[in-house]
Amino acid sequence: MKKFRIYFVLLFLVSILVGCTETNILDRVGLTTLVGYDVGTEERISTTAVVREINPEFQSNVEVITTENETSKGNRLKANRRLSKKITIGQMRVVLFGEEVAKGDLHFYIDSLLENPSVSNGLYLAVVEGDTSELLQHEYKNIDDIGQHIYRLMEQNIKNEHMISSTLHEIAHDYYMKGKDIAMPIIKREEEFVELTGVALFNGGKMVSALPVEDSFYLKIMRDSFKAGIFETILPKEDIPPALMKDTITEMPVAFDAIRSKRTLKLVDPATPEFDVQLKIKARLLEVHPNINTGDPKVIEGLESAVSKNLSKELTRIVAQSQSVQSDIFGFGDTYRSSVRNSELTKEKWHEMYKNMKINVKVKFEILRDGVFE
Amino acid sequence: MKFKLPFKKKQQQQPYKEMNAVKEKVELIAPSENDFTQLIKDTTNNPADLVIKSIPPNLTLIYINNLVNDQTLNEHIITNLQNNFFETPEAIWPILSIPEVNISSQLEETIASLLNGSVLIYVNGYSQVVLAPIPKRESRSLSTPENESQVIGAQVGFNESLSTNISLIRRYIISPNLCNEELKVGKRTHTSLSLLYMNGIASDQMVNTLRQRIQDVDVDSLLDSAVLLEMIDDNTLSPFPQMLLTERPDRFCDGLLNGKLGIIVEGSSLAIVCPIAFVEFFESREDQNLRWQVATFARLLRFTAIFLSVFLTPIYVGALTFHYEVIPQALLVPLSESRALVPFPPVFEALLLELIIELLREAGARLPTKIGQTIGIVGGIVIGTAAVQAGITSNILLIFVALSALASFTTPSYTMGNVIRLIRFPIILIAGFWGFYGIMLAFCFILIHLLRQSSLGAPYLSPYYPPRLKDMRDSIIKFPLPFVAKRASLTRPADQEKFDPEPVKPEKS
Repeated sequence: MKKFRIYFVLLFLVSILVGCTETNILDRVGLTTLVGYDVGTEERISTTAVVREINPEFQSNVEVITTENETSKGNRLKANRRLSKKITIGQMRVVLFGEEVAKGDLHFYIDSLLENPSVSNGLYLAVVEGDTSELLQHEYKNIDDIGQHIYRLMEQNIKNEHMISSTLHEIAHDYYMKGKDIAMPIIKREEEFVELTGVALFNGGKMVSALPVEDSFYLKIMRDSFKAGIFETILPKEDIPPALMKDTITEMPVAFDAIRSKRTLKLVDPATPEFDVQLKIKARLLEVHPNINTGDPKVIEGLESAVSKNLSKELTRIVAQSQSVQSDIFGFGDTYRSSVRNSELTKEKWHEMYKNMKINVKVKFEILRDGVFE
Repeated sequence: MKFKLPFKKKQQQQPYKEMNAVKEKVELIAPSENDFTQLIKDTTNNPADLVIKSIPPNLTLIYINNLVNDQTLNEHIITNLQNNFFETPEAIWPILSIPEVNISSQLEETIASLLNGSVLIYVNGYSQVVLAPIPKRESRSLSTPENESQVIGAQVGFNESLSTNISLIRRYIISPNLCNEELKVGKRTHTSLSLLYMNGIASDQMVNTLRQRIQDVDVDSLLDSAVLLEMIDDNTLSPFPQMLLTERPDRFCDGLLNGKLGIIVEGSSLAIVCPIAFVEFFESREDQNLRWQVATFARLLRFTAIFLSVFLTPIYVGALTFHYEVIPQALLVPLSESRALVPFPPVFEALLLELIIELLREAGARLPTKIGQTIGIVGGIVIGTAAVQAGITSNILLIFVALSALASFTTPSYTMGNVIRLIRFPIILIAGFWGFYGIMLAFCFILIHLLRQSSLGAPYLSPYYPPRLKDMRDSIIKFPLPFVAKRASLTRPADQEKFDPEPVKPEKS
């Protein structure tokens, strides 16, 4: 019994003395939902934070605060001086980088985000065309909480596979991988809207180029297998088989709902290097102009081959563009590394080889259904 | 480390003097009428209801008025004795038309018999006395089990009479193998209790252990089986009961038929069933009456309810105090807005509300049934709404607390339900101090504690630890009947087979 008494006293003391942890009571902290980084004056870091504060009047308001300091933590201190509640970053959902920051180097930002335990690995990263503070400080007519709005915008588009996913986890994974470069969505303010306008390509931590948003579908099927997503393409005259050319049309817009796509990469020549890319896509035909008889199997076959041709052309084009800026966002380097023994690949080495890489794209496009949809 | 009950030790050191004194004084009955009546008067402290009645020429009847059945006394004893003359006590024996008559020459036995409702018939000049037990059995009529009600199944519960309860069990189990051992506990109350088990199913070792434990109990008085349970179970200091208290004869018999042992105490409507595993406290007898899919659903529901009940409020406290990161974004605004007016930290808020709910429960349990219901409704609605409007709690917490209180009432065993409600409080406190780490610590602590417990030497967390795959078929998930044809090994049954798993209608399967 005596021994137990000592344990009880110890337990009591421990719970009293160790119970002095810093508390973060939900309604007494300011929740940062979004942070944007810009380059400030004299190369300082300019931070724009969207902070949600809860007021006792049952109304929550959103503050957008821009501060400038030498470090991002310094900026937090500075922002704290302007708010009635302690700033916390545990509920941060999106981190935006201004174009200028992205063209510099993101290494520091990715690192410091990863190191902070209260930052979720599921937050989205994106690049802003122009300055983030300009995008965030604007008073939108229909948007109440800009932080939540941008998060929902990105989440919706990424979940529906309209845009490549760019969570911190994935970005950090690709960033530290030897044979792959990172890519992030680009967002932009269009008058009273915030819009996804493209995909930023990176070489290491530096943004080097951008693809228009229309190309994100190609990017997605080229990067990985995927399961959903509508895409629209315009078949130019030369791709359309003559059987379908009833009238004198110059082009044929078609819309598909891809059900499943599967990518297989094969290294055929390690010296060049040369890759065979095989894509199998199964899709539903949603819309086609002008009216063609989709009940005819021959027509469908013609359409399938036309789309295949068109897709491989587009894919080759995008890869060529990424090659010109040495940004391997598709992860060819990783296949190279896993296929070649003792390659001792480094990012720099791969970038040199990537410039001269050759690919042969083969697309097998299959229309599963047409007619009644959704 | 084993704890021993402190009072046991003390009693062993200082035995009761009076009891010994009575034993030493007189052993035999005096052969003279006056001496004998005086002796009886002295030993029983001459109670007001002691009747000493002479029947000429040489008989004396002694009995306690409130203990004997008047009608039997008149019709079967006095009438028979008045018209005859008896030389010896042995001659009385065949005359009395009652089922059981004894002759004793020992005072102690005579007194015990007198206090159990016997009439003493003394023939003048003999050192022997005829004992005719005609006790008046007064008990409440059988009623539905109030605390363990069920929808499908028998609607009869034990009452406070030992003989009625045993007759109920004998009607369920008509078998010569149903063993009934009578034991006495309590130096002053001499409470009789019955140890019941099925010979051929129950493990002899367990029967011996339990009998030994009951015999070793050295107490003054025993008024209820719940007290006995606390004295004979494996770890008295644990809040978790290691033996089941039930007021359902069918549950009791189900236990006996599965090799468990049962104890029924005179004067108590709750019977003890042991050994029992932790999960069995959350199983209802009704589960056996339902189809396995429905029974499995009900059991899963109850197990979810335990976790909800124990951890929901602590998680609220932990998340709002320390880990605002884990709150889903959709809940963020409603949660923080509902808490915006509350002036207290979440721990205090939660403890306050839990305390109010406990107060309501306690008030409802203590008040008469009619008022109790009103208290529940009035208290729940009025206090709940008022507390939110006054801004001392958030309405989301109100939902959580109400939910966990509701969940704790789904436990079929009331004693276990109490424990579930009780252990919530330290966890809320520790969640307020240390957040989720604290909750995890408390969970581990409880788990380790449960692992260390045993029920009559059988592992408490069986069949999960030690893992017994076959017994898991009828624990949280109930398998269809052909899979549960064997008795659980928890009770170490002498005979494992319960029934033949072959279907009765083989052509169909």
